[in-house]
Amino acid sequence: MGTATVNGKNIFYPPGGILMWIIIFLELFTFGMALVAMAYYSKEEPAIFHNSRMLLNTAYGTINTILLITSGFFMAQSVKSLKEGAIKKSSWYLKLTMLGGLLFLILKSIEYYDKIEAGLTIGYNTFFTFYWMLTLFHVIHVIVGLVILGSVYLGLKNEKSTTTIEDVEASATFWHMCDLIWLMLFPIIYLIF
Amino acid sequence: MKKNLFLIVLIVLIILTAISALVSVNVIDATYAAVFIIVFSILKFIGVSFYFMELKNAHIFWKTSVLVFVSLFAIITIALL
Repeated sequence: MGTATVNGKNIFYPPGGILMWIIIFLELFTFGMALVAMAYYSKEEPAIFHNSRMLLNTAYGTINTILLITSGFFMAQSVKSLKEGAIKKSSWYLKLTMLGGLLFLILKSIEYYDKIEAGLTIGYNTFFTFYWMLTLFHVIHVIVGLVILGSVYLGLKNEKSTTTIEDVEASATFWHMCDLIWLMLFPIIYLIF
Repeated sequence: MKKNLFLIVLIVLIILTAISALVSVNVIDATYAAVFIIVFSILKFIGVSFYFMELKNAHIFWKTSVLVFVSLFAIITIALL
């Protein structure tokens, strides 16, 4: 596979590629506007938002944040190893990255199960409408990210693969975008109301 | 130092996350706690984007765009709380 690198200082070649960064900004604006709307509605129903937030498990949110951040760390190490030509090491880090994502999804599923069992579904109140829509939308991104990372992993394992360093960097950038979105969701949904 | 930069960033991010969770549980003044938590989340956002995503090596346009976005998001959110 190709391991040549591009000049990141060029405005047209940010790390991961310009198209990926356009997607990232679109995603960040979408989630950002939804979170601003959530903060706005919290002013109209402060008691409901506070009581609903207290029904969430802060420990789940915190552990999930640490899982995603650690997964992002392994992804960064994977890209770094690949740039150094250490493909086996890069594959190993990529596996750890995917493990972090899978653990995130497992913990999120447990949390969702608890909420559904308690009757705190999407129509329960305004807070839980935002909670379900935003976190589910984020979970979809994590699943898509895992599929992308899985295909990159197979590409790294296959010696005849045409996977390039740019492909891996773009996949890594998508994965980090999932981190960034979660870093916006976590404080607003789990901590501040 | 440079070899372990990602690890240092990871440790800082985990510490910031843990402090944010503790503040939300223990600080009585909700407004101060919210500002504190949002500021910490901005620092984490910058940590991931500039170090893990290597934005620190990118053109200044991309760095500025991310900083402007995250600052606007924080200001608007804090103003609404």
